[in-house]
Amino acid sequence: MQLESYLHQYFGYETFRPGQKEVLEQLIAGQDVIALLPTGMGKSLCYQLPGYIFDKPVLIISPLLSLMQDQVDQLKQMGEKRVIALNSFLTPAQKNYALHFLHEYRFIFISPEMLLQPQVKARLASLELSLIVADEAHCISQWGYDFRPDYLRIGEVIQVTNRPPVLALSATATTKVLHDIDHYLEMESPFIYVHSVDRPNIHLVKKPFALKEDKLTWILEHVEKTAGPGIIYTQSRAKTESISAQLLQRGIAAAAYHAGKEMQDRQFIQHQFLSGHLDWIVATNAFGMGIHKNNVRQIIHESMPSTVANYMQEIGRAGRDGEDAVAFLLFCEGDEQYAKFIVLEDLPKEFHVVRYAQYRANGEQPNVMLSNGEISEVAFRVVHYWMERETVDQLKERLGNMQTAKYEEVMAMLKIVETTSCMRELLIDYFGQQVEDKRENCCSNCGVDLSVLLQERVEPKNQNPMTDWKGRLQQILLRNL
Amino acid sequence: MLIQQILLKIFTAFQNERTLSAAFHLLKGKRSGQTIQDVGLFQLHPFFGLLPKLTRGQFDEQVDLLFAKNYILIEENGYYHMTEIGIKQASEALLFHFDGWHYRGNEHVFFARVSLALQSLSHQAAGVKSFIAVEKDEDVQSKVREFLVRNQFQQQTLQMKIYLEMEQSLEKIQVNEQVKTIIVYRLSGFQEPGLTWQQMAFGFHMQEMDIRLMYGSGLHQWLNEILGDAQKYPYLYQLAQGIRVDLMLTSSANETAKLYKKGHSLEQISSIRRLKLNTIEDHIVELAMNDVKFDSKPFLTLEDQQLIINASEDYQTKKLKILKEIIPHVSYFQLRLALAKGAHY
Ligand SMILES: [Zn+2]
Repeated sequence: MQLESYLHQYFGYETFRPGQKEVLEQLIAGQDVIALLPTGMGKSLCYQLPGYIFDKPVLIISPLLSLMQDQVDQLKQMGEKRVIALNSFLTPAQKNYALHFLHEYRFIFISPEMLLQPQVKARLASLELSLIVADEAHCISQWGYDFRPDYLRIGEVIQVTNRPPVLALSATATTKVLHDIDHYLEMESPFIYVHSVDRPNIHLVKKPFALKEDKLTWILEHVEKTAGPGIIYTQSRAKTESISAQLLQRGIAAAAYHAGKEMQDRQFIQHQFLSGHLDWIVATNAFGMGIHKNNVRQIIHESMPSTVANYMQEIGRAGRDGEDAVAFLLFCEGDEQYAKFIVLEDLPKEFHVVRYAQYRANGEQPNVMLSNGEISEVAFRVVHYWMERETVDQLKERLGNMQTAKYEEVMAMLKIVETTSCMRELLIDYFGQQVEDKRENCCSNCGVDLSVLLQERVEPKNQNPMTDWKGRLQQILLRNL
Repeated sequence: MLIQQILLKIFTAFQNERTLSAAFHLLKGKRSGQTIQDVGLFQLHPFFGLLPKLTRGQFDEQVDLLFAKNYILIEENGYYHMTEIGIKQASEALLFHFDGWHYRGNEHVFFARVSLALQSLSHQAAGVKSFIAVEKDEDVQSKVREFLVRNQFQQQTLQMKIYLEMEQSLEKIQVNEQVKTIIVYRLSGFQEPGLTWQQMAFGFHMQEMDIRLMYGSGLHQWLNEILGDAQKYPYLYQLAQGIRVDLMLTSSANETAKLYKKGHSLEQISSIRRLKLNTIEDHIVELAMNDVKFDSKPFLTLEDQQLIINASEDYQTKKLKILKEIIPHVSYFQLRLALAKGAHY
């Protein structure tokens, strides 16, 4: 079988990107695979191509709804009609229809919650699949930053015998996370492909500040002087709004972007950023963005991310075209305290476990905790999952371990900030790899000359002239007739 | 600011007889018995559901501003009083007109259809076959697909026809040019992404909430124009199908009304529909409010009806608690029913 000819026939490409062919060959041979490929390196092709080679549905389990929608859009844009997303957005009627015709789809995207519903489980059991994909597989691990308990139960759904190969995909994972993936997905001696996480064209710069307020001043001046496109990461929605408003006031095409924005606005921002109408996006940390823009030149972290994995993923949105890009990390004494606070926010506390046990002992539904606002939804999911499997004391100990692990993550990030030796080496070491391609202007500690890396900002000629509605209507409807 | 002027209008209409929360529910378009009855009782039809995405925090912020300007005094139990300058300010005319009750959020469905149709036509004109749809909703997508096929979009003449309809209808409506600009800039086309609320607010030096309200006002009037002249706007008229709600009842109340008219008792309806008796009573009150011919005799004697109306007038109140104290022998349901009938006079 010639994989290249399929690639050409269905995707129009001549050659595979690094890793794709190795992964595909193993899958076709019926082997389970864990593939760690950075975002933007054609992860999704690893399951899209099998969908065309085998004439049986591919099941893709995806824990993040925004990313799922993004993948579905991409396939539809390629002209693929046999694609369905099974998630909580479907009405009961839509869901029944989809389940009835499930065998007709080529790609079935599903959220872990949906996967565990008895009706869905039963339907899937009756279906012959060509491949099961666990996307964003790091979410399965309690060591990861985006732990989803429901995801742990995928193992229940994947049959032990007579099942198709399982492909676990992730952009970043440490050895601990790799082990969890292997374990919880009940994989059979999987083939593991790990792409180098290092992105040598992204130059790492840290900027220490004595006062928090000075960060904003620096950002405003820096963005006014140097050319984008760029993304600024900050921790709160309010901050994304205020920073973007101040940039706008200085005539910079910027927009705030966070999960609280309505879908339509988020889409407008993505399109504007892609088409070059927008130069800067100010986003909250860890907000999964479906932005496929190759020429992002700058990433600015207004504050320290809570985990190295987050940091890696966020700076990874720069320089996808292979050209130089710069990632700035702004730091001020005490930032790590805030990072710790953020990272523990969603972790259940001991008293949550006690309350949960109390409710249960009284014969009440522990869900009441949610409606009473006693606990966040994420935290509740964790407690609920483990209370069905462990005693109160076991869970308390587990939570203690989780908290320690989270602190360690923050400390690992802090180490990268505080190191006086090469930042890149420490960063890559975290993922159990080594820097192979070290270039000039590597990082602040190796020495960076920004003047060769960044362009000067060019004042835009006309910005956003919101004037004549008839003119714009003509632009939309008549210009290309 | 528009939002504050609207709040003052609502607060005035409530005559200090509702809590601040009632205004919040009204603006969000809550489909509960109380909010729906308030609409009829205090004649607040224009403002129903103007800001479906309003958060309590945003609402409280505006209320605090009204308090800071000394327009209202807030009491501890959630009630409020209008001050003298508040009453004076409230009497200023509202510069934008609304028709919330007739659209109940459907105006956004209409806009979604227009938006997707234009995006499709724009890409078609540019010769681009695939693009990421601005509207994900399956119903909107299938409606627009049908619309395009039915009107032979392949011939590439639909662009001009729709352009002319939009130009004429938007020109015709009596609203500020800014409102038309907001509507058009929320649309997307080939290489022409729409603008976010934040961007419009910045461009017009206004608050996001006011921009949204102006947009809503524009949609209401645009729809009224389109639906008023099917001959003149045949294409937009198709896209506006099923958007206006002329039935004055919520759909759940409508179900109850059907059963009631078949002769079922409230208890029977409650068990058939598996809804609480309270809810069914809410529906009956809604029915009474909207149907002038509704006969309340099965529930309420004419004497009691008159007693309640008189008490309400004598004491200048629609507060149920007070009325119940004055006429203890009637039930809360009877009180609401009498007030609902009274709203017709
Ligand atoms: Zn270095």
